Amino acid sequence: MVKAQMKIQQMSFMLIAVTLFFVLVLMFFLVVKFSGLKESAQELNEKNALLLVTKLANSPEFSCEESFGKNKVNCVDGDKVLMLKENIAKYEDFWGVENIEIRKIYPKVENEIICTLSNYPNCNVLRIRENVSGFDASNFVTLCRKEGSEGESYDKCEVAKLMVSYG
Amino acid sequence: MKKRGDIGIPFAWLFAIIVGGFILFLAVFISIKLIGTEQTTQDAKVGKEIGVLLNPLETGFESGKTTSLTIPTETRIYNKCDNKGNFGRQVIQISQKSFNKWSETNIDVGFSNKYLFSDKIVEGEKFYVFSKPFEFPFKVTDLIYITSSLKEYCFIDAPEDIEEEIEDLKQENVKLENCSDESVKVCFSGGTDCDINVRYNLGIVSKKEGNSYFIDDALMYAAIFGDAEIYECQVKRLMQRLEQLTILYRDKANFVSRTGCDSNINSELLQLNNMANSFDESSELATILNVVEDIEGKNDYAQCRIW
Repeated sequence: MVKAQMKIQQMSFMLIAVTLFFVLVLMFFLVVKFSGLKESAQELNEKNALLLVTKLANSPEFSCEESFGKNKVNCVDGDKVLMLKENIAKYEDFWGVENIEIRKIYPKVENEIICTLSNYPNCNVLRIRENVSGFDASNFVTLCRKEGSEGESYDKCEVAKLMVSYG
Repeated sequence: MKKRGDIGIPFAWLFAIIVGGFILFLAVFISIKLIGTEQTTQDAKVGKEIGVLLNPLETGFESGKTTSLTIPTETRIYNKCDNKGNFGRQVIQISQKSFNKWSETNIDVGFSNKYLFSDKIVEGEKFYVFSKPFEFPFKVTDLIYITSSLKEYCFIDAPEDIEEEIEDLKQENVKLENCSDESVKVCFSGGTDCDINVRYNLGIVSKKEGNSYFIDDALMYAAIFGDAEIYECQVKRLMQRLEQLTILYRDKANFVSRTGCDSNINSELLQLNNMANSFDESSELATILNVVEDIEGKNDYAQCRIW
């Protein structure tokens, strides 16, 4: 009787050990699988940012259209982007990226001055959202705006870098 | 001597068979679940990839762009549209064939900045994707049309500019002549054997499901290639985007007026904003068109253009 009980006990322990082993193997497999999934998601975000940055300047919220003359490709309307910044709450997750930034690169300004309604156009970084995080992809664009002199309006265009950051 | 009720199998064996069986059942169950999860992940990944690959279709000054998308396995793209929120959402669901069975998926991959026009389910391995800008009066977005290589469209008696555009697109499944019997016949001057009737001058596309109304070529293609229900939903989303864009342009017009740039279109933009806000169905497009033409004229001849 005692021998039989011992055998059952042995078997129970064995079964528990086998089950635990399989559970551990399963957990290891899931960890590997989900880390791969995270990598895939990251790759897709990167691909999205890279493809988006090449075409974002032509989307209606950014593009110059014909406001600064005809047939301007990769031209960003600074005045419109500043208005977009003011209305950004409505555009939450619209482009599926963390942030969009336009940085003037020529003429060069030493310090980083974020554009706001009060300091525009005496600034060099048009940042759509406040926070900047993660990696970024960039593309060169023309940044145009309307300027005024003696009551007359004229167009002013500068070289800038359009940057898209993703998490 | 056997006791009564003794089945002749030692208890240890019986115990091992039951528990072993349970473990095996658990292993098979978990494997099946994991395969299902893997398939769902794959479907979600393909859905997201398709969305990402649609980014380069954003047009600059081109009139239209076409490209093809080939997926190694037979795939179904479920096109869904939702107009909740500020911009609504373009939703894609993917189902792929494995072991001659379509995967079941309820994973929605959504994009706020895309507008896809297609049947509710597009099936195949090769898909043609073509895009065209929608301007009303400024560019609102690019409309994307997805068709399967398995479905052929035949444009009969189309106006000259439409014929030229289709020839330029060189999309293999959209033909002007030598159409097969199975092709979807798109007639521009009526006929009995037509699947889709286009009354170009009136801006109406008639299908079995009903009429869709359009005001330009971009929307005409959308009504032809898109399911009628999806068309109505997407047009509503376009008006949601138009509404937000009118706010941007109105703010811009006010802002640049400090530089001496007077456009004088604020009241018209406000009117357009209200119309876009109360928009309900495509038959109302013609009414908005009057205001749009008025604004377009004012911007074109303004001393300082806003777009």
